[in-house]
Amino acid sequence: MSRHRILVVDDEPQIQRFLNPALTASGYEVIQASTGAEAERLIATIAPDLVILDLGLPDKDGKDVIETVRAFSEVPIIVLSARDREAEKIAALDLGANDYVEKPFGIGELLARIRTSLRRQVAGASVPSRFELNGLLVDMSKRIVTRGGEELHLTRKEYQLLVHLVLHAGMVVTHRQLLASVWGAAHVEDLQYLRVFVGQLRAKIEDDANNPQFIRTEPGVGYRFAGE
Amino acid sequence: MADRGQKYRPDPDKLLELATRETRGKLTVFLGAAPGVGKTYAMLLRAQRLKDDGEDIVVGIAETHGRAETAELLEGLEVIPRKQVTYRDRLLEEFDIDAAIARKPKILIVDELAHTNVPGSRHPKRYQDIEELLWLGIDVWTAMNVQHLESLTDVVTSITGVTVREIVPDTMLKRADDVQLVDLPSAELIARLKEGKVYLPGNAERAADGFFKPANLTALRELALRRTADRVDDQMIDILRQNAIEGPWATGERLLVCVGPDSLSEKVVRTASRLASGLNARWLVVSLTQTNDAGAETSKRIDELLDLAERLGAETKRIIAQDFVEEIFRIARRENVTQIVVGRPKSRRFANPFRRSLPDEIIKRFTDIGVHIVTGEEQGVSYTPPTLRKRTRFELAIAIAVPVITTGATTLLGLGASNLVHLQNLSMVFLVAVILSGMISGRLAALIAAGLSFVFYNFFFLEPLHDLSIAKPHQLFSLIIFLAVALMIGDLTGRLRDQVARSRNQAKNTQALYEFSRKLSGTARLDDVLIATAAHLHSTFGTGVSILLPDEDELTLRAAWPPDLTLDGTDMTAVRWAFEKNERAGHDTATLPQIGWQFLPILTSHGVAGVLGLLMQDHEPLSENEDRMLTAILDQTAIAIDRALLVKENAKTTALQESEKLHTALFSSLSHDLKTPLASITGAVTTLRHLGDRMNQDSRDDLLLSIEEEAGRLTRFVANLFDMTRIEAGTLKVKNVPVDAAEVIASSIERIKKLKPEITVEISIAPDLPAAGGDPAMLGQVLFNLLDNAAKYAGDGPIAVYARRDDGDVAISVTDQGKGIPPKDLDKIFDKFYRRAKGDGRAAGTGLGLSIARGFVESMGGTIKAESPAVRKRGTRFIVRLPLANPREATA
Repeated sequence: MSRHRILVVDDEPQIQRFLNPALTASGYEVIQASTGAEAERLIATIAPDLVILDLGLPDKDGKDVIETVRAFSEVPIIVLSARDREAEKIAALDLGANDYVEKPFGIGELLARIRTSLRRQVAGASVPSRFELNGLLVDMSKRIVTRGGEELHLTRKEYQLLVHLVLHAGMVVTHRQLLASVWGAAHVEDLQYLRVFVGQLRAKIEDDANNPQFIRTEPGVGYRFAGE
Repeated sequence: MADRGQKYRPDPDKLLELATRETRGKLTVFLGAAPGVGKTYAMLLRAQRLKDDGEDIVVGIAETHGRAETAELLEGLEVIPRKQVTYRDRLLEEFDIDAAIARKPKILIVDELAHTNVPGSRHPKRYQDIEELLWLGIDVWTAMNVQHLESLTDVVTSITGVTVREIVPDTMLKRADDVQLVDLPSAELIARLKEGKVYLPGNAERAADGFFKPANLTALRELALRRTADRVDDQMIDILRQNAIEGPWATGERLLVCVGPDSLSEKVVRTASRLASGLNARWLVVSLTQTNDAGAETSKRIDELLDLAERLGAETKRIIAQDFVEEIFRIARRENVTQIVVGRPKSRRFANPFRRSLPDEIIKRFTDIGVHIVTGEEQGVSYTPPTLRKRTRFELAIAIAVPVITTGATTLLGLGASNLVHLQNLSMVFLVAVILSGMISGRLAALIAAGLSFVFYNFFFLEPLHDLSIAKPHQLFSLIIFLAVALMIGDLTGRLRDQVARSRNQAKNTQALYEFSRKLSGTARLDDVLIATAAHLHSTFGTGVSILLPDEDELTLRAAWPPDLTLDGTDMTAVRWAFEKNERAGHDTATLPQIGWQFLPILTSHGVAGVLGLLMQDHEPLSENEDRMLTAILDQTAIAIDRALLVKENAKTTALQESEKLHTALFSSLSHDLKTPLASITGAVTTLRHLGDRMNQDSRDDLLLSIEEEAGRLTRFVANLFDMTRIEAGTLKVKNVPVDAAEVIASSIERIKKLKPEITVEISIAPDLPAAGGDPAMLGQVLFNLLDNAAKYAGDGPIAVYARRDDGDVAISVTDQGKGIPPKDLDKIFDKFYRRAKGDGRAAGTGLGLSIARGFVESMGGTIKAESPAVRKRGTRFIVRLPLANPREATA
């Protein structure tokens, strides 16, 4: 397997200065860009396997870059963003970013996100028919969910919700994305549906619904199903 | 059913009254039939009992009239010392209301409700003092004789023949929470009088013989008893209404009282008042006039009449109508009137046989409503047409002189040219004189001219000459015709002229008001509005004007015209009164009437916005027209003040929003500046920990170096923040010592080179540069910040640092060759967090450097400025000037 090529887009030289050796040491090939325009050009020409994108760029908004890139590429994009900018994160995810990491971050966290996104990318369009994690089995061909070998009875919506989360295991899914895929585009604002159903789903699949291991909350953004 | 529900609901007005009453003090009136029945005695006796029970009861004023038994009762009671007041060189004692308010007892005894205060007191009447005390929540006990009640004065006069001067409005007794009747049989009272136990002040002594007759006393006693009984009735009805109990009170009797400007109307009102209280009926007094512009005298009479009616407890209404009977009918139907009271003069010698009087018409029109007719002689000053009254002496002289001159001239003309003018035609010339007089001086002059013409014509031109008798009968006829025509023409011309004058006056007023409102609408600033108002009022009324607005808690003089007017302490008391009570105070009002100013509340939709003062001391009282004008101006002013305040409020809100926006921007900038170094330190540290063993030595060293650099950056940033905070808090400790600029420049450049080794700096220092006075460490930081700034924007060009002497200063300049700064931004670069690039991708820096530089330089007593372009249309030059060091210190 050839080395994955990662494009790091950030105008702060200090960030590039540690990301470059860190990613190289982890076995990736690193390409650097410091403006949005440069990033778009590089994505179109050299087709990197993954993009790490800072949202604050000198020439244009990082969100615009995502929008432009999504028009021609499905390359996984991981967004770097500050914790106090929830709205920006959600907007980036809804525009097609695959995940985000909050600054300041430890390198381990970033590497884990990179691995998850790349794995999904490799899996490609083929939807897995089975998912198994810590005794929870979701058999999508038979539409069966078991926990410790015992079959769980989920309603249709709960099942759809679980499948959507499981297919994006390890990655964040925004409220909007979940609502659109399970309830339809007309319900993207109906956050309370989602809360109720996630609550029910947790009650059925988690050991302790108050301390969930499978469906984790990303405050203000969405949910993340446990991965790895 | 719904109707019944409506009926039994508690009457909201009554409940409201009850609620106000609960915060108000309670009023207890000891009512007697005549002096000497023992009111003060009874009051003090009861006070002693309450005091023994531990009540907080204080005597504000009590008249013992030297009677030992009453004086004894004062012992042991706290008595507020009387105030000494000088009036016309006499020392008088008066109730001290301020001391009473300061003491603020639970119950205060204030004897003699009908007392008139010494001129110069806060209120002219003691009952007004008591009103204020009640308003402040103090319970008051007081005493009065029934003859002082306003509605009874005419009855008392007719019974006893004594005119009562000290009057208490009926509402006072009506609103009393408790009325104690102090009764003494007439015979006993007369016995006491003979024993000399009854004190009679001044006037009453003379009338005493007539007054203390058994018949009078019995009548007065009956009045007192009936009043008290009426009150008990009223109280019971109030209780029924408050508790929504159905009762006999819903008789629905309602009186309509019709009055006009005639003198009989006052009697009509008093009679109606007694009738209404006897029937327990609500009563409405309407004044009837045919035009709005009835003249000042008429309006004043009607005002007084309606005021009286209100004090007696009536509702009042002014009606302007052509057809009185129709209007009365309409009101009677609408208000569910059951009885009508109307006056009819007894002697109607000049009654028009073709016109029936108003009472007759009413009786004819109403078949289902009782009509009371009050008859009487028109007493005292009879009502006279207004035009003859309100003339100044000068106007009167003109009104006489003009017709004398015109008719005299006509006579001379007739005598001189008798052969030219036919006798018959001469009468036409006299008519011209009448018309001329009317045009020049109005109706009165025209009428005088008509009379004079009649006399002169007869005297000089009709046979027999120089005699007022007439020889030929046909001449008598034409003379009478002439007089009639002259009178009619004179009257018409005069009226026309008066009307023209009036409408011209009105047009002028309207124009002035329009000008004023236009002036106001052009000014949004509060002070401009106030000044414009004061100036306008000054020119309208020709007197001093002041405007006061509340500022924090105090009312302050905001505008005056003439501008040097001032207000003294008493004036301010009246101002506060007008503001707090929302009523006029000062000159010619019930509160502090002795002062020169009259103060009026300026009422806006949000309540009283301020107070307007008019200096009325040497000014005639405002006429009705002027008063209307004043009200209109006040309304305009109130609206303008309201608007000005809103504009100010709006500006404040906008400023607040702007500052909030700025804060958000500052916060996000700060957050970025702190987070970027933290992010790279965290990233580098975690990279070293997780991946360090997979890296070569160079990479590891670079990561460690980046950590060191970022930590340094963070340190500088935090230090800058602290410096900034110190500058803003004003806690900088600045040394003032001689500073060798060259030395400081060298060390600053050394520091910047450590951080940014790539830059080149050219230095030029004048050889005999004197020492500057300042703080070397601060100057070092200033130069470092300027160099750091220059390095950021300089591009590749060198940075030039020059130092030289400039007059009394040492000037140090730092010049880069970067792009320069647009002139419009030059002022802003010293602002906190200002940076030349926007957004997240700004040039690295804290945005504090220049701001700190300025703070430091200014705290050392120097100046800093920026110039751009500096050289060859490029670059920016910063010039720091510091004063030369004090020579003594320099040599020391």
